[in-house]
Amino acid sequence: MSTISPADIAAARERYEPVIGLEVHAQLKTASKIFCGCSTRFGAPPNTQVCPVCLGLPGVLPVLNERVVRYAVMVGLAVGSKIPTRSVFARKNYFYPDLPKGYQISQYDRPLCEGGSVDIRSGDGWKRIGLVRIHLEEDAGKSLHPEGKEGVHTTRVDLNRAGVPLIEIVSEPDIRSGEEATDYMSRLRQILVYLDVCDGNMEEGSLRCDANVSVRPKGTTAFGTKTEIKNLNSFRFVDRAIAFEIERQIGLIESGGRVVQETLLWNSEKSIAESMRSKEEAHDYRYFPEPDLLPLDLDPAWIDSVRSSLPELPHALWERLVREYEIPEYDAEVLTETRSLATYYEEVVRLSKRPKLASNWIMTEVNAIRNRDGLSIEAFPVQADRLGALVRMIGDATISGKIGKAVFEHMLLDPASPEEIVKKHGLLPIDDDASLLALAEEIVAANPGPAAEFRAGKEKTFGFFVGQAMKRSGGRAHPEKLQAALKAALAKQG
Amino acid sequence: MSAPIHHETAEELARSVREGSRSAGEIARAFLARTGKTSERLGTYLHLDPEAILAQAARVDERKAKGETLGPLAGVPVAIKDNICIRGVPTTCGSLILERYRPPYDAHVIQRLRAADAVLFGKTNCDEFAMGSSNENSAYKPVRNPWDLERVPGGSSGGSAATVAAREAPLALGSDTGGSVRQPAAFCGVVGLKPTYGSVSRYGLVAFASSLDQIGPLARGARDAALLYDAISGRDECDMTSRPEAKAVDLDEIERGVKGLTIGIPSALLSEGLDPEIRASLDAVRAELKRLGAGEAEVALPHAKHAIATYYLIAPAEASSNLARYDGVRYGLRAGNGDLKGMYEATRGLGFGREVTRRILLGTYALSAGYYDAYYLRAQKVRTLIRRDFTEAFAKADAILLPVTPTPPFKLGEKADDPLAMYLNDIYSIPASLAGVPAVSFPAGFTKSGLPIGLQLVGKPFDETTILRIARTWEKASDDAWRAPAIAEEVA
Amino acid sequence: MPIDVGTVRKIAALARLRVAPEDEERYVRELVAILAYVEQLQELDVEGIEPTSTVVAGEPPPLRPDEEKPSDIHEDALGQAPDREGDYFRVPRVV
Repeated sequence: MSTISPADIAAARERYEPVIGLEVHAQLKTASKIFCGCSTRFGAPPNTQVCPVCLGLPGVLPVLNERVVRYAVMVGLAVGSKIPTRSVFARKNYFYPDLPKGYQISQYDRPLCEGGSVDIRSGDGWKRIGLVRIHLEEDAGKSLHPEGKEGVHTTRVDLNRAGVPLIEIVSEPDIRSGEEATDYMSRLRQILVYLDVCDGNMEEGSLRCDANVSVRPKGTTAFGTKTEIKNLNSFRFVDRAIAFEIERQIGLIESGGRVVQETLLWNSEKSIAESMRSKEEAHDYRYFPEPDLLPLDLDPAWIDSVRSSLPELPHALWERLVREYEIPEYDAEVLTETRSLATYYEEVVRLSKRPKLASNWIMTEVNAIRNRDGLSIEAFPVQADRLGALVRMIGDATISGKIGKAVFEHMLLDPASPEEIVKKHGLLPIDDDASLLALAEEIVAANPGPAAEFRAGKEKTFGFFVGQAMKRSGGRAHPEKLQAALKAALAKQG
Repeated sequence: MSAPIHHETAEELARSVREGSRSAGEIARAFLARTGKTSERLGTYLHLDPEAILAQAARVDERKAKGETLGPLAGVPVAIKDNICIRGVPTTCGSLILERYRPPYDAHVIQRLRAADAVLFGKTNCDEFAMGSSNENSAYKPVRNPWDLERVPGGSSGGSAATVAAREAPLALGSDTGGSVRQPAAFCGVVGLKPTYGSVSRYGLVAFASSLDQIGPLARGARDAALLYDAISGRDECDMTSRPEAKAVDLDEIERGVKGLTIGIPSALLSEGLDPEIRASLDAVRAELKRLGAGEAEVALPHAKHAIATYYLIAPAEASSNLARYDGVRYGLRAGNGDLKGMYEATRGLGFGREVTRRILLGTYALSAGYYDAYYLRAQKVRTLIRRDFTEAFAKADAILLPVTPTPPFKLGEKADDPLAMYLNDIYSIPASLAGVPAVSFPAGFTKSGLPIGLQLVGKPFDETTILRIARTWEKASDDAWRAPAIAEEVA
Repeated sequence: MPIDVGTVRKIAALARLRVAPEDEERYVRELVAILAYVEQLQELDVEGIEPTSTVVAGEPPPLRPDEEKPSDIHEDALGQAPDREGDYFRVPRVV
């Protein structure tokens, strides 16, 4: 095998097409676990959210949680999957300390949902990422590996998480880069959060991702050998790990090697993917239908009722905002980041009748503060009613944009209405003709040079006078009336 | 003057406690005295706590004294097979791997027995994890047949059957996966019922083969079996396979005789290997039932001859998965002092006996990649054919009469070295298990050498009533339905 | 399908079960005999037959409502652990 330079790899990259599929596990935010009544809350003291069933004690049996099924069907419907009338639970048999029964109840050849898709951005358009399936399964507990004393290595097991409901969403290998993978994850997460079935928290593990990565020469259709990368618990790691693995595989092939099918663990400290493979044999999970659970038969009428109860989904909401309010696609994308932000926006528009202005205000002023202080829109101190009133005032030219910003700053700390704040802080606009004329005359008199230029024909100078007048008035001069006053003042002399 | 306590029926004992003519305390003491005399020789119990038993009895008597209404099993001792969980009480399943394990919860059937005011009477010995037909696979000690201590009581519920036969307890619970209630009942001369799959909750029954396991009553007489069945059956929300269709057996209904009923006889199934004395007993029962007004019909059950092969792929496969939880991590035995893999292998290597190991190996193989289709999946298809056979048979008959075992009780050690020979004993009991239909084993005479012969009635789903009715009819007509083994007559 | 000691070792490893070397031959013999017996199933025509996954028929039971039901077996559970470290079960480290 020859070594190969980074420049060569860069050139080689052009000849290869990465082929990536993602397996995403999402914890469903039900009150109780999938097969027992234990709480699913994150962060409880170890082994306090356990019962005989999720501990896998001798003699226990699973009892399926109805809301788990509902939430999973909601996800399937939201991504356009087919929901077969019958799906079957199966046992996936393997040994691990955090798998109490020695098998995981999952679904094998008859999953809850088949097919579906998620659209991601591709240039100015969209690209459809297909889904293979979505199925239900139970989560395992947690194995913690603290460093031992004097070379004794042990593992601690906490079974609070054992039995938390999961859906596994398997994509087709339609993804072509780390970037696309991140966009896919982000939009999938958005759908789950819109549906309020998952809190999408990758740090806490309520959303997890494994990537299957392979490469093939551009223009070919046969699949190359794929590797699986685990431990991707942030969007950033998804992107980096996939990019790393694509490079590694190309480099390997180009220097005469072969990609070996293996499982890799992303090491975020070293930014490399390390082989997980020990000497142990490949898993033979010996799937068979779970005899303790009956096949899950869903009534088509019930599925229809779930479908009609779905909230408006991100893509549909995005389209509607663009269409109804004639705002740019980019704006709509930002505003539909969460359903509550979109609702906030629509309320501000309803009150102010200024869709684009409202959009600007939210994208810049509101979001800047939110980002700075880490606030959700629900926690934001200026709610839609007050922002709506403010935007209306600006839109009606009752106050200038500049004054509006000052008012907004006050509103962050003062719960009063924008009208009250304007009064309280003397931010009232100056809009009576007499004061404006006096002001205009003052400015003109103070600036004979530019005045002369203007009268001589240099019309651009007018802006200078507007700026000066605005400055002098602390931004309170009524914009249109000021212009009329200045024109009059300039016309007067000379 | 009523019979001595240990010969009374459970029905009679409960009635006398409810009425006040006997106390739960004296009943408990009587059976404890009996058990003290015989259980050491028989090996019937793995756990027996006289204080706890007397305390339960005392509570029943207290409630009676307060004027409270007592349940249908008031004061009646019920022995519990050691694979059924009782909170805080050792549950070993006859295995070393659970030697000191105490469940932190009650099985559903235990909750029901408590509600019926029964007195939980010890944990009976059984084949390890319910795998066996002779109770020689218990890791602790074998159980001996009360009729002949050199012979096996049958298995896997050998302890439960022997304890009832020996009059150590009037009632017992066992579990039946391929015959483990019916076969020991036959070998010990008592009634053993395997209910319809789904009629008794499995919550708290340590799983062997999930699609086959059922808890069933062992008793003297059909009425007592019905009484116990009624106390434990019915839908349980902790078991998704338990059914609301489960019907209580009406004790008056089973006295109605057999006029108008058609008994199915599967002649083709009666192999040459069937012991001639059992064959003769079957014919005698047939004749008597006909004399009493039953009709007869030939039924085919063409695929039943493949039942053993079918069962011995399905049951071990499910068992291999159900027993994966015994890994030394959270409870039970832990062995090995190296890495995790070593811990698993040493724990399970030491903790499981030979029969369990054999079945785990067989079951793992039947599910493994490349073999699943040819073994497990194919067996489940043949199972469908066997179920259909029964559906067709029940179009012509109300119940099917057949043997329970091909031979009378054999000697300890006789079949211990040939697992396949042991499995072949299950030829008559397995079909009803695969089909999930109810089946009862009832005493039907004795061999010339004085060993019990049991016969079996298989019924339609949730029709425990008809098979108990037929068994009750025979019981009333026969001379020796109430004969007790000599060991039960020993003066306490 | 020939079963030999190698097969038994592989299956035992899958089942995390140590089989003593002196027992290997015996298990091979027994499994060979049992598998030879069950071979009879291969002769049956099961074309178009659905495998049984459950003998339960009729209306499926209602699913469990999503309600939290706390269970206080923390001490009962950990108390029986062969090895524990505070509130955790402890096992040898995965290699």
